[in-house]
Amino acid sequence: MSVIGYGLAVLGAGVGIGLAAFGAATGTARQPEVRSNLFQIFILGAAFVEALALIGFVLALIK
Amino acid sequence: MEAFKQLSAGIDHFISTLLSQTIYGNDLVGITQYHFYIALGIILLFVFVFAGVKKLELVPKGRFVNIFESIFEYIQNSVVYDVLGPQGRKHLPFLMTLFFFILINNLVGNIPGMKPGTGTIGVTLALATISFIYFIVVGVKSQGVFGYLKSLAPKGLNPIITFVIWLIELFSTALRLITLAVRLFANLFAGHIIIAAFALLTSLFFIPLLQQFTLGNLVGAIPSIAWLAILVFIWALEIVVSVIQAFVFTILSAVYIQIAEEAH
Repeated sequence: MSVIGYGLAVLGAGVGIGLAAFGAATGTARQPEVRSNLFQIFILGAAFVEALALIGFVLALIK
Repeated sequence: MEAFKQLSAGIDHFISTLLSQTIYGNDLVGITQYHFYIALGIILLFVFVFAGVKKLELVPKGRFVNIFESIFEYIQNSVVYDVLGPQGRKHLPFLMTLFFFILINNLVGNIPGMKPGTGTIGVTLALATISFIYFIVVGVKSQGVFGYLKSLAPKGLNPIITFVIWLIELFSTALRLITLAVRLFANLFAGHIIIAAFALLTSLFFIPLLQQFTLGNLVGAIPSIAWLAILVFIWALEIVVSVIQAFVFTILSAVYIQIAEEAH
């Protein structure tokens, strides 16, 4: 049961990280010179989104 | 499928080995396996650093020194100076220590048979607490106790709304401690379990062939090649994740310091 719940929870995080990567890729395509700044922003955004998914992971383990 | 039934038992056993186990002394005073791995990581780091700075030159020539310097410069420029600005120099030693400590401990876990020193919640919570106390002290130093508490909420709003935002911000600041710790722990813990799952699958499909050489067992062992390929891929991914998580922890610490330092 908790595994199913975690699977559902991770959908949101997947969409979130996908959006962050989409933004970074589009930004780099439009303006290649800001690539390193965009990478930093992407990593930060992904880290914040991912934290939610990982809290779900830990809760699924604890039950 | 017999192999998949054995897999879940194998994973349960593997998770139990990831828990902190005393290898010397008793539970109260003793050395657990994670003490050992952290000590190993620190020794490796010292070996690398001393091998790097053995011969100090203005223009370093050794390949080893250059690798070390390029990592250092990348973190210096992309984390410290980009986030904190030129006055971030005073936080450089703290952030760099944090980065290299986490990096070496994450990478130790990628050696087959080893476990990452940062793969237990106790260690990551300690690291997160250090970072948490550091940015609060920086905030209090630059703005004073009440100034720092007041700076959590933005100025120029209706007092009731300001109070509500202040409460939310206080909660989210306290939550930083937990998210910093859980992010690092869960990434390494989960990565380790995934590697173990594919390693177990590879061996479980291959074992019948070793016990008895028949055509059926030979066909049954074919999926093991695919499992091995996935295992190698996941392993490479885990090495990347180790580096990225060290980077993320450092950059988040830098961002929190920057938020604490600047007055709203």
